[in-house]
Amino acid sequence: MQRVVKPKNPRAKRALVKREPKIIENTKQCLFLHGKKTGEFMRKCIKDIYALKRQDSKLLQSQDQLLPFEDILPVERLAHEHDASLFAYATHSKKRPNNLILGRMFNHHILDLIELGVDNYLGLEDFKNKKITVGNKPCMVFCGTQFEDLVDYKNLKNILIDFFRGVEATDVRLQGFEHALLFTATDDTIYMRSYKILLKKSGTRIPRVELEEIGPCMDLKIRRTKFASDDLKKKACRQPKHLKIGKKKNQSRDVFGTKLGRIHMTKQDLGQLQTRKMKALKKSSAKAKATNNEASTSTAEPMEVSQE
Amino acid sequence: MTVSSASRPSLVSHVADVNNTNMAATEDQLARLSKVKDIITKASQELKSIEVNREIDLEFDVGNLLVTDKNTLDEEAVYDPDTRPAYLQSLARDGIQALMSKVWDLPSHTEDNAVFVTLPKTTTVLPREKPVPKEKALTKWEQFARDKGLTKKKKDKKVWDHILKRWVPRFGMKKVQADKEKNWVKEVPGNVDPYEDMFAKEKELKRERVAKNEYQRLRNIAKSRKLKVPNVGVTGNDLATSKDLGVAMHHSRFATASKGKFQPTLPNEQVPKGLGKKRKHEQITGDGRAEKKRYMEVLKKVEKNELNLSTAVHKQIREENIEADLAKKGGKKQLRRSKAGGRHRTRSDHRASKLGKGIHESRKQKI
Repeated sequence: MQRVVKPKNPRAKRALVKREPKIIENTKQCLFLHGKKTGEFMRKCIKDIYALKRQDSKLLQSQDQLLPFEDILPVERLAHEHDASLFAYATHSKKRPNNLILGRMFNHHILDLIELGVDNYLGLEDFKNKKITVGNKPCMVFCGTQFEDLVDYKNLKNILIDFFRGVEATDVRLQGFEHALLFTATDDTIYMRSYKILLKKSGTRIPRVELEEIGPCMDLKIRRTKFASDDLKKKACRQPKHLKIGKKKNQSRDVFGTKLGRIHMTKQDLGQLQTRKMKALKKSSAKAKATNNEASTSTAEPMEVSQE
Repeated sequence: MTVSSASRPSLVSHVADVNNTNMAATEDQLARLSKVKDIITKASQELKSIEVNREIDLEFDVGNLLVTDKNTLDEEAVYDPDTRPAYLQSLARDGIQALMSKVWDLPSHTEDNAVFVTLPKTTTVLPREKPVPKEKALTKWEQFARDKGLTKKKKDKKVWDHILKRWVPRFGMKKVQADKEKNWVKEVPGNVDPYEDMFAKEKELKRERVAKNEYQRLRNIAKSRKLKVPNVGVTGNDLATSKDLGVAMHHSRFATASKGKFQPTLPNEQVPKGLGKKRKHEQITGDGRAEKKRYMEVLKKVEKNELNLSTAVHKQIREENIEADLAKKGGKKQLRRSKAGGRHRTRSDHRASKLGKGIHESRKQKI
């Protein structure tokens, strides 16, 4: 690391290295915030979502008046302190009841912000059954054509995937599929439901899936949005070259497994090709050929005579 | 439990052939057969249950365990709060079932009595947390090592010290202590002044080495950030030419708080004069066209007679409004001292300030 002021001990160095930009990034950390007068409803809501994402998130104590849509700087500062690139902020006021703001950052600056209203909320404790293990990677299902057609819904889908994705896993245990999240979009609301996956025996090796609702369950309505501009989005989605898979062109394998390559040549003038020199095909020996032919015809006659 | 249906007819024929006479036995067999029939129908039903059929095929991003269902929803089932939970659960179940079929088809391997499945790469484009790191430029040493083909050799933490006859750490506090133990006495060579403090000299040399290392580290950082650092005069360069030494002397003189103005000169030192940028003055003689042009521009800016139409219109409107207000409210308001420096505020101004906009905002909206 090239810093003018070097870290004084290895622990500090490790903390700094963790926060540096990397080719393969850390799991996105999430910050759960709530205002001073949120009320029990929203506080329960935010605690339940925090429980779903406990491994990669921090639940902070009540914050002083934060208005992300007016002044995002305090939120950016908080996120920078805790090295979090996602945040969820729950508030409640007369004008915006049961408000939940989801946001994500790029390079410690705000990328997207979306404000949702929470309705018909049922928490984890409202479903009296055994829950799933903490930190489980959920399977997500998005239903409804709005998630493809409307811009707001499209962006919300992207934010929700980012939010609930968890660790970017390479190998998963077959018994480890425990959590399922469903987001159904209609014209005005998005229904979020959360289930526990039970794998039952079917006749084949692929199990039959049964679901059991464990909560939290809420109906969301999009209120305000503030999405990133196109070029900022492009900048944020830029992937490093190492991770890009380049297509291997002009190579193929045949049935026997031998590697075949394809070479592209310029147009060749076949008249000017350098080939093996056949003396017999040379134009100067054409006369000699003619004499040979005459000789052959002359010998034909005695042959005929002998046959006769 | 898989019972093939083919076994049934053979069992029947077997029963027919062998136990034809014994009525009680065949009844028992029939009871068993009916049970077998039930099991088969149940198994076939369960077999169908892993299939998921939808109008529009579901889209998968298996790397993210994501299922997208583009089918149109049964609006009635969704809006009715009684049917909603069951309907949503069925949607979810179908999606997850389809995903599981995909997942179970992936290449798997077994480790620690658990079967693991390798997920493919994600297809959803999600923004990164931080920008892609830039390639770090090699430092001067790294470049040299690469060119020469030097490899990094792992050094042990402890070194055998044959004087102290024990393992001493290569660096750190304990190493310094061990060095002190070893160097309790220092030989004074013949060519050195006997009254010179050899230990202090050694300390001084160590400080210089540390400073040099620090300077080189900072120089590497400056190079990577494309900043310029003076080459001479900072570290002792034995191969400097007389010109370099002159430059070094200048740097050392200039790098003081008052930029070398009050720095005492050494004997025989010649301080170069006239360093720095010279101010270029304009020609006094010659044609004065450029000068004339300059002065005319200045004059234009001072004596602006251009009519700013919008300002004039705003001014007129404002005056009209003030008159209208005064006419309505009578003469009393005139005597009242306004809090904001005597400026008259109209009704529209007050309204605007209530809405949270400044007075100037409301002015802009007028036309």
